Amino acid sequence: MSGPFDAPIAVLGAGNWGTVLAHLAAQSGHEVRLWSRDAAQTHEINTTRRNSRAIASLEIDPRVRGESDLGAAVDGAAMVVVVIPAQAFREVARKLGDVLDPRQIVLHATKGLELRSHRRMSEVLEEETCARQVGVLSGPNIAAEIAEGLPAGTVVTSRFPHVVKAGKQVFTSGRFMVFGASDVVGVELCGALKNVVAIAAGIASGMHIGENAMALLVTRGLAEITALASAMGARPGTLAGLAGAGDLMVTCRSQHSRNHRVGEALAKGETLERAVARLGMVAEGVTTSIAARELAIEHGIECPVLDSVHRILHEGVAPTDALEALLRMRAGRDVAWA
Amino acid sequence: MISGKEIAHEAARRVLARSKGAQGRSFELVAESVFHERERLMRNPHGRASEADRAFVEGIARQLGAIGADGLLEDIVRRYAHEIEGRFDPKVYGFATRVLPLGLTALLNGTRARDALFRVPELRSLSDRVSISGETAPLARLARLGTLVFTPTHVSNLDSLLFGYTIFRMGLPPVAYGAGLNLFESRTLGYFMHHLGAYSVDRSKTDPLYRAVLKEYATVLLERGEHGLFFPGGTRSRSFAVESKLKKGLLGTTLAAYRNNLVAGRAKPKVFVVPVTCSYPLVLEGYSLAEEYLLRAGREKYIPHDDDGSDNARFWLSFFEKLLALDAEVHVRFGAALDPFGNRVDADGTSRDPRGRPIDPAGYLEQRGRITEDPTRDQAYTEILEREIVRAYHRDNIAMPTWLLAFAALEQHRRGREGHDVFRLLRELVRGTRLPIEPVRALFNEALDELKLLEGAERVALSDELRGDKSAAFDRAIACFATWHKDPVLRVKDSWLIVGEPSLLYYYRNRLEGLGLLSAPSLLPAEVQ
Repeated sequence: MSGPFDAPIAVLGAGNWGTVLAHLAAQSGHEVRLWSRDAAQTHEINTTRRNSRAIASLEIDPRVRGESDLGAAVDGAAMVVVVIPAQAFREVARKLGDVLDPRQIVLHATKGLELRSHRRMSEVLEEETCARQVGVLSGPNIAAEIAEGLPAGTVVTSRFPHVVKAGKQVFTSGRFMVFGASDVVGVELCGALKNVVAIAAGIASGMHIGENAMALLVTRGLAEITALASAMGARPGTLAGLAGAGDLMVTCRSQHSRNHRVGEALAKGETLERAVARLGMVAEGVTTSIAARELAIEHGIECPVLDSVHRILHEGVAPTDALEALLRMRAGRDVAWA
Repeated sequence: MISGKEIAHEAARRVLARSKGAQGRSFELVAESVFHERERLMRNPHGRASEADRAFVEGIARQLGAIGADGLLEDIVRRYAHEIEGRFDPKVYGFATRVLPLGLTALLNGTRARDALFRVPELRSLSDRVSISGETAPLARLARLGTLVFTPTHVSNLDSLLFGYTIFRMGLPPVAYGAGLNLFESRTLGYFMHHLGAYSVDRSKTDPLYRAVLKEYATVLLERGEHGLFFPGGTRSRSFAVESKLKKGLLGTTLAAYRNNLVAGRAKPKVFVVPVTCSYPLVLEGYSLAEEYLLRAGREKYIPHDDDGSDNARFWLSFFEKLLALDAEVHVRFGAALDPFGNRVDADGTSRDPRGRPIDPAGYLEQRGRITEDPTRDQAYTEILEREIVRAYHRDNIAMPTWLLAFAALEQHRRGREGHDVFRLLRELVRGTRLPIEPVRALFNEALDELKLLEGAERVALSDELRGDKSAAFDRAIACFATWHKDPVLRVKDSWLIVGEPSLLYYYRNRLEGLGLLSAPSLLPAEVQ
């Protein structure tokens, strides 16, 4: 093995991002176990080097082995990377707790908040497992582009500097830059909340209201998530970084962004159920919008953009009506510290 | 029992080994030490032993440059270690505990023992007034399986007395703890302090070398199996708010001791951290603490009143007598024992993950199969331990009727003054201000309902008085407030509540800060929270 770790890396979740991360870790010289509960999927990975359901275009590095037994995937791994949708995260974390060892580093790459509890994923890991050396990987990362070998960057954050270093060592490549950070709360909240703004951007895009309006919506959205995340303990500067503004830029512009696509479909008159079904994958912003609204109320932060998305998604308000209401609002200060 | 001298020697040896290991750092460390000590002596020119300290520091300064810095560094470190060292004498402990609670009470507060002895009968009944609860059952066994470190909340100088008395009553072994230098000032008291396992802590010393020796002393104590007592808040909570930030340096000694024990292959390497809350309906020195807090927080915005003398520790006897007369209880609650990584520990000393699965915490310190020392990693673990202790503090903070009444009364005053900061609120709340009793009572009842829900969510605990009849709890708070402080904090006149000392009203309400009661905003200025 030529990577920095003698022991293997386990990636839990064989969706498109999990598969690409497993591939990246393998390319830096590690033996990687890619866990999926679907044995047919792991069989396909092991026999054809493809994961057609998640990302058909990628020829997966031969050092990645599909594994449908969670214990076998995690046993002896130096690092466990969890890439499971937010609402299924706790269930997998609980099972992970049965097989995890205090020695093991755990990173997660899930952008979302748990419904009702509003827990961040690192909090779920700490509530369900013995993991202490926990980190987060988040940034403007369209899996399909990275799979094609296009350049990209991401952030690994942890309260433990050696976890950040490990994340950098495992995932850095000539086409993939990994930056370090220590604001776990900020990076996690950026990743989760920006998905709601991405839906707003998708709606604006579908309504063809112009680039000026798009910029208005996205930057107001950024100001809102900055205020909310700061009230929850994030450092405001994090929101201006790769995991904040960087991720927001890509997710608000890219046709690959699931949340953006859901927004566009809604603007064209599709129902939420149909838009999500057509996507075939989880758009985290749909559920995060509920948590975001509850959190904004709890912390007393005015968030008209986030609130409008919630009203469109969950209260049946038409996108045009929500937009009109937004535009009629009193324009206060641009940003809080100006 | 290991002698303090031996522990001090080992602590000094380690600090020196680490300092000399850093090439050419000795000169720098000595110069830095001289700088900090000169500053301290200028700030406090007439303090204890200041003449001897000054002579020593100037002697070091004169020699620095003339002779090698390594020797001077050794002189400084060994002097600090000697100053810190405590001794424990079982005979002295036996004597002191026989006359408890007054024995330790007298010792810890500098009151002449003769004064205390006259009041034995009243003070005996103190035992009925201290309510001990929480996860007490496993402690005796854990004390045999490893080293216990108790980490109580800290609001009063009575805390160490109360705690010493509590563990004595529970039959737990004595603990070593760092006590402020002032407690060593009298010869008699100093003698007892030293022989009861206390080591001295001079909070005025800012020299990093002193801090390093102190930390190492505490670490070696724990490694040698001496049970410890830390107040991780560092000092009494001036605002009376429950501590939310703890001193990580001291807390981190638990992890350091555990790690060193593993490396040395000691038979009982484990260190168990036990959060404890001490809840009083009234605080002996509440007035002076409240005034000090407001002065520090408000600077020119806060204009203090004359001191009424209630901070004088000599009043402790009469304080207890009044509490006894009132039939009031002081609560000491023990939280679940934790390992140095913040995991709960069961009665067998096994660490458990949040779902109760057994884990081996040594794994947290392993890298490539070896136990390693990594200060940044270990600091991050200690932050997690801090978070868990703070959670336990809130969960086991036993709410008292007095706190709730103060909260409701100040909220009544605040309503209609939206946006006013705490200093403006208090300026407009002079002695003698009248608050209408019925609206305050309504707020009291409403907040009590909220507290009950919060207790279900493990964010606070309720005293028995708050579980019963609401009206009785309200009356109880009024009676209690009339007991100790010079002016009753609140008293009833016709259909009004009359405010006695506004800063005390603020002080007592702060113990319920952070729970979101009555949707009231935080009244703790951000920079000193």
